[in-house]
Amino acid sequence: MKRKQYLFFCWVPVLLCLFLIGPGAALAAEPIVIGVPTSTGFLEGKEALKAVELAVTEINSAGGVTVGSEKRPFKVESIDIRDAAPGVPVPEALLGIEKLILEKKPAALLVGPFRSEALMAGMDIIAKYKVPLLGAIAMTPASEEKVKQDPEKYKYIFRLALNAKYLVKYLAGTMGFINAEYGFTKVYIMNQDVDWARKTAEIISQTYFEKAGWTIVGQESYPTGTADFSSTLMKAKASGAQVILPIFDMPQSGILVKQWNTMKVPCLMAGFISPLAGPGAWKTFDGKIAGAINCIFELGSAIGSPKVPKSMAFQEAYAKQFGSPIEAGHGPGPAYDSVYILADAIGRAGSTDADAIVAELIKTDRQGVLGRVKFDAGHQVIYDMNPEESAVAAIFQWTTEGKRQIVFPTSLAEGKIQLPAGLTSAK
Amino acid sequence: MLTGTILYAIINSAILALTAIGFNLTFGISGVANFAYGAFYVMAAYGVWMLIHMAHLPYPLAVLISISLTTLAGALMYRFVIIRIKGQTLSEVIATFGIGLSVLELFRYFGFVGFEYTLPVFVDKSFLIGDAYVDAQRLLIVAFAVVLIIALWLFTHYTHLGLAFRGIAQDERTSLTFGMDPDRIARMAVSFGAGLAAIAATVIVPLGSISPEEGYDVLIKALAVCIIGGLGSSGGVIIASVVIGFAERFTDSYIGSHWTMIVSLAALLLVLVIKPSGIFGKQKELEERI
Repeated sequence: MKRKQYLFFCWVPVLLCLFLIGPGAALAAEPIVIGVPTSTGFLEGKEALKAVELAVTEINSAGGVTVGSEKRPFKVESIDIRDAAPGVPVPEALLGIEKLILEKKPAALLVGPFRSEALMAGMDIIAKYKVPLLGAIAMTPASEEKVKQDPEKYKYIFRLALNAKYLVKYLAGTMGFINAEYGFTKVYIMNQDVDWARKTAEIISQTYFEKAGWTIVGQESYPTGTADFSSTLMKAKASGAQVILPIFDMPQSGILVKQWNTMKVPCLMAGFISPLAGPGAWKTFDGKIAGAINCIFELGSAIGSPKVPKSMAFQEAYAKQFGSPIEAGHGPGPAYDSVYILADAIGRAGSTDADAIVAELIKTDRQGVLGRVKFDAGHQVIYDMNPEESAVAAIFQWTTEGKRQIVFPTSLAEGKIQLPAGLTSAK
Repeated sequence: MLTGTILYAIINSAILALTAIGFNLTFGISGVANFAYGAFYVMAAYGVWMLIHMAHLPYPLAVLISISLTTLAGALMYRFVIIRIKGQTLSEVIATFGIGLSVLELFRYFGFVGFEYTLPVFVDKSFLIGDAYVDAQRLLIVAFAVVLIIALWLFTHYTHLGLAFRGIAQDERTSLTFGMDPDRIARMAVSFGAGLAAIAATVIVPLGSISPEEGYDVLIKALAVCIIGGLGSSGGVIIASVVIGFAERFTDSYIGSHWTMIVSLAALLLVLVIKPSGIFGKQKELEERI
């Protein structure tokens, strides 16, 4: 008995030491702080933060980030800048970003603001403190123009998320695909009465519908918070629309699809409705969303594709780590990839110096959950239709079995678009 | 198209009436403008959601418990906060608004954001009426609103407690001489108002989803209806709900949906300019006469 106790007290500390050496060596080193200033009280921000935490856990478990000759762990420091909340002034959001930079001294900022105004105003603060930002939410292309106009000052600003121009490209691509498959040419546009949605509707009308010979039979802008879409749905039905293009990111927009279903409007519902993105939408909307076609801004956010194995692995790892799947169709994918891109850049730079990191970030060429990630001259990740060559968005359709089936781009497509009852092909 | 517009206008009116009736009852009887009203609405909806998904209770039981707890929360708010500042209108508004704000932001802080927060519909069917399809939940809302308004009328006209409510609302001092306790009645009015907000939430939320922002929207809608109808007037609430409900849907159908909110606000402005106490209100009658 004494011999057994002796062996136990001798070996347990030795085994514990062995267990802690390895990853433990990195954990003992000074951590590299990653700042996540975003609206954590909103779904996209909450899940993007979790995606960052997941990537950090994975990197730290694998030993950490190589900085010169040592391995250092990442450490996440987040702050809720509340810029997505109605009525919160931009300066308040900027104060949050500045507080995080000054108090936590992050090597880089990830995710970043929701609202484009906050991003645009925040660019000067980020340039002042020289902290790289890898954005995952705000979508204005104006930030890229600013980077191009003064690259030395704004070189710290990068975006992995889809921007508004690419969103239009994907929506126009989907409409073109529907036209080619079924010959539809009559569209009713329904958008939220907010700047990004109005602009998206306006640009797609000018750059695609008018040029491609479509007839816009109607267009309605809905104030945020609207909870009844019956009038427009009746108008769409009466006007003979074949496609309804919704552009909404408010929680109430799910009601539109439920009403479209219960009012049996014989039109294809294809566009962007944020509450429909995640797998939980089927249960949330009592299965009344079958046939709706929705845009996921970045592959990896709420949906993966077997054509991009990393996107599937991310979905599984997220669900395992947090006990529920990703529901946000914008943010988590780029947020997750941004951690790996940052780690690679630090590894190549061999330093946490901001300028050295930026110099390496520009050279990024990595296969991630988004597809192939490369930055353009405005530090925006390039989105196109083939994940082997660029990052991709995904357009899927809810099937009658409650599954999400990717239908566009064709490089990711898992099936063909199914028409709702009462609507037949015009070809 | 016209039949459908009228049908959905009736539904919209019923939703507005249900949304505003609790706020109106509280103000009409106790004189308290309960700015935490929207928070009670959201709290009740989240309450049902939690009882279903976390405590795994049956839907009807979850609804009953949530309505009861929200009613109790209203009584507690009166007992521990409002009673100390009763009669100081501005303080009441600030205190109740602060409580509402705290409740809504606490839900956000604890992560109750996302699209999964919704409640199941009571009946999953839709019917063709005229040339428009309408779902059973919307028809139920209309039925609920009618039944609730009739029940409230019967309660305030044929029960001792209801008559006491009206007595206090008409003249607090005279009611005191009849042995009525204004604090007790006011507590019950705030409590009943919170309960009515909870009832509205449980029937309306299945159409959409629950989010902290919904609390602010509900408060604004309730205020708009009550101001147009006349604060404290039940008849006014019904008339204002019908006016706004029809104006919104007809604007939506025949002018444009982005004008919908403007029409409601214009109606509000017009009433405030022409008759500041609202269609049936008596709050400022004296000043108007002067």
